[in-house]
Amino acid sequence: MIYVDRLTKLYDDCRYGPIVALDGVSFAALPGKIFGLLGPNGAGKTTALRILATMLRPTSGTATVQGWDVVDDADQVRRHIGYVSASTGVYDRMTAWELVEHFGRLYGLPPDRLRARIEDLFQRLKMGEIRDVVGAKMSTGMKQKVSIARALVHDPPVLIFDEPTLGLDVLVARSLLDTVRQLRDQGKCIIFSTHIMREAERLCDRIAIINRGRILDAGTLVELCERYAEPDLEELFFRLIESQG
Amino acid sequence: MVWSNVRLIWMREIRDQLRDRRTVFMIAVLPVLLYPLLGMVFLQITQFMQQQPARVWVLGAEGLAGLPPLFAGSRFVHELCPADEDRLIELIFREPSRRDQGDAALIELARREIHRDGFDAIVVFPSDFSARLAAVRADTKDPRPPSPGGDGGGDGDVARASGAVAAPAILFDQAGDTSRIAADRIEHVLNRWREAIVREALAARGVSPTVVRPFVLTRTDISEQAGRRAAVWSRVLPFVVVVWALTGAFYPAIDLCAGEKERGTLETLLCSPATRAEIVGGKLLTVACFSAATAYLNLLSLGVTGAEVVRRIGVSTAGGLALDLGFPPPLTLVWLLVATLPIVALFSALSLAIAAFAHSAKEGQYYLMPLLLIAFPLMTLPVLPTARLDLGTSLIPVTGMVLWLRFLIEGQYGEALRYAVPVLGVTIGCCALAVGWAVRQFHSESVLFRQGDRGGMGIWLRRAVHDRGDVPSAPAALFLGLLILLLMFFVSLRSAAPTSWTQFALAAGLTQVALVATPALVMTWLLARRPRRTLLLTPPPLGAVVGGALLAVALHPLVVLLSQGIEAVYPMSEDTLHALAGLTDVIGPAPLWQILLVLGALPAICEELAFRGFILSGLLRLGAPWAIGISSVLFGLSHGLLQQSLSAIAVGFVLGYLAVQSRSLFPGVVFHLIHNSLAIIAGRELPRLVEQHAWFAQICRPTGSATVPFAYQTPIIVLAAVLSVALLLALRNLESPDRTRASRRESSA
Repeated sequence: MIYVDRLTKLYDDCRYGPIVALDGVSFAALPGKIFGLLGPNGAGKTTALRILATMLRPTSGTATVQGWDVVDDADQVRRHIGYVSASTGVYDRMTAWELVEHFGRLYGLPPDRLRARIEDLFQRLKMGEIRDVVGAKMSTGMKQKVSIARALVHDPPVLIFDEPTLGLDVLVARSLLDTVRQLRDQGKCIIFSTHIMREAERLCDRIAIINRGRILDAGTLVELCERYAEPDLEELFFRLIESQG
Repeated sequence: MVWSNVRLIWMREIRDQLRDRRTVFMIAVLPVLLYPLLGMVFLQITQFMQQQPARVWVLGAEGLAGLPPLFAGSRFVHELCPADEDRLIELIFREPSRRDQGDAALIELARREIHRDGFDAIVVFPSDFSARLAAVRADTKDPRPPSPGGDGGGDGDVARASGAVAAPAILFDQAGDTSRIAADRIEHVLNRWREAIVREALAARGVSPTVVRPFVLTRTDISEQAGRRAAVWSRVLPFVVVVWALTGAFYPAIDLCAGEKERGTLETLLCSPATRAEIVGGKLLTVACFSAATAYLNLLSLGVTGAEVVRRIGVSTAGGLALDLGFPPPLTLVWLLVATLPIVALFSALSLAIAAFAHSAKEGQYYLMPLLLIAFPLMTLPVLPTARLDLGTSLIPVTGMVLWLRFLIEGQYGEALRYAVPVLGVTIGCCALAVGWAVRQFHSESVLFRQGDRGGMGIWLRRAVHDRGDVPSAPAALFLGLLILLLMFFVSLRSAAPTSWTQFALAAGLTQVALVATPALVMTWLLARRPRRTLLLTPPPLGAVVGGALLAVALHPLVVLLSQGIEAVYPMSEDTLHALAGLTDVIGPAPLWQILLVLGALPAICEELAFRGFILSGLLRLGAPWAIGISSVLFGLSHGLLQQSLSAIAVGFVLGYLAVQSRSLFPGVVFHLIHNSLAIIAGRELPRLVEQHAWFAQICRPTGSATVPFAYQTPIIVLAAVLSVALLLALRNLESPDRTRASRRESSA
């Protein structure tokens, strides 16, 4: 369960001066649902998700994950989320097994349970063949699988995916989206950011369209289409963006 | 902080680094191979150098009849040149062509021959040398005047000056190593020959040789072998350990911070349950392990190789000239292992903090050189022959530790214990600061998620000027501080010591106006939208002005006490004292009001505009403590002399505090003016007043020091301290007119 209330983030950019990355963003994501953040590059998606993952502190506003505040209870928040993004890399000099095991130990899982959990994850994600392959020798798709296994090792109730299909080929991306759906079906609360319309259409239960740090509108795909009398999400998206000026 | 998380990260990083071939090469392979390889090369070169005999052309040897024999065939006689020296000299006897006769022609011949590597040196004996020497020996009371031609050798000059005969000359090329070595070898032999001539002459007259050599000086080395070894190693090893501790820390630190950023794994780690402090702890321990391993492996490799190389050289020279350098004594190594740890911790934390700032590993590499540039003088200072551990040097980071290590290695435990507190205090303090900085870096979003530099200098300048804020940015403030320091440094290089008060006053005034105030005003105009706010040209609360004036008076005895302390810890060199005495002579005759104007009022305005105006305003974005601290250090450094700088830094803190509390430049200007004026007036008048009026002795006493000529009595100092604290506390609760107006607006709203 994630609640975000009037989240604002300002930072200073050497080139552009002070930048409003998030401007009073509010939304809620529920268990068993996928909440999609759809927006172009630089819209503020990554900033919002990094705040939820406690890597950044909001300038103002609040956000809670499973009831824990992202600023005051950052340690607890990190224990209850799994975070995957295109930029969460894997270590070049660690094997898939070692990496997942390392993070499992950081989460404090007992050795027996950890081993069983990793075996289960590697089986479910079909990672048997890359078990002893070091990160440097993995393809982008393999690395993303390892990242997902790492994010799931402690079986968190909340999963945050920040453009996880970036740079993946069609087959791997499709497999990843299937995995996300399965996780939703297991009752996980999922936030999924993307700039690809088709992904949002096919995957997300609720979609928030974000641009220049503001959520322009949010709802189910059907609600949004009805509200703007526009059956095509891409057209709807452009209308909203253009209406912002 | 959960220790198990720190350990997990630490162990993972260690394993990761050990799987990196580059790191293993730097840490283990390079030191193990480097020194033996260097040793081998050195031995080869030494062997090569030793086996090269010097080719020496001898001219005029036939004119030495009647003198003690110098040559036997084509070599020196054995009595004057032992076998081990003789094999390194090859003599060639050949007369020059007729056109090369005469001094000038001979010099030209020597230049030609030596430059084309025909000979390494040429020895010339004057044609009538033995005849003239014989004449002198026959009639020492009436030596013949020297010949007008003479020769080019140094001894020849001496000989002519003393009215003796023209002497043999050695012609050589000072710029060439082989030629210089050849000249030295020949000179040794000819000196012995000269002594033989003297002995023979004395014997002929029945005089004992002891007349000219009444005693033989003997040097007895009382050191023991372990002591000698410790003395040599104590100079070499700490330097090696410190250099490699820094190098060994930096490369893993770059990989663990900038490298992780680049590969995206830092973000993976940041969203794990480990806190930032735990991440820093794990990484710091990893960097420290590799830093220590690099230092120790280098130490071991150098110790073994050095001892072996020196032993081989000792054997090969067979002259007992070798250094007595065996493997470092075990206790030396133990001390090095233990005492290196704080330095390793310091360098590890520094490297980690700097590496955290870098966006990529490539960018991180660029930061190594500035770090080395800062650390290198601190490392090399203890290697200087004159460097010794005292209170002053013990307070210098790294330098104090290396000098302290030397005491430990040499077994001077009493001295080491004496300086243990300052040395360890400074090292641990710096270490704590560096660790704090590293943790802070990992908490800084702008550092961790910094994007690579985009746009370069053009965009930066455009942004700096066109997008300028109300007050300057912190980098702009730092830039002005460094600009002032650089300008002052370059001007001081070009300026000569003033010879009159007018010259001095002009130079001092121009320095303040042109190098301090003008850059500040120009940069304010360019880089700040609100010049008045930037330069703090706002009306001050009356209390702050009065408080500033009183504080300057109250702090004066404490500043004098501080100056005395600084003088005791860092005494001025003779040269500096001499230069200062010259300045005092120049300033002394000037009217007091002119001195107060040039040394009191002008700096009070110019320096305050720059340091408390532009620089402090810009730095306030970092927080008041940082702003006051950095502006004070820059202010102190602008005073040039170390002793003055340290005192000025302390005064800078008070001035910064005044500016921050009052949000106005004027209380600081008043403080600065009174502070400088008091120092001038007290320095000129107090010693005289103490002499003239006995009751002044209750207030102060002369010290006899040239730099701090008087000191206040203890009760005055105590009173001054109490007053100063009271005034500083009172200034803490100041209400500036700006603040009052703002609070009024808020309450009315």
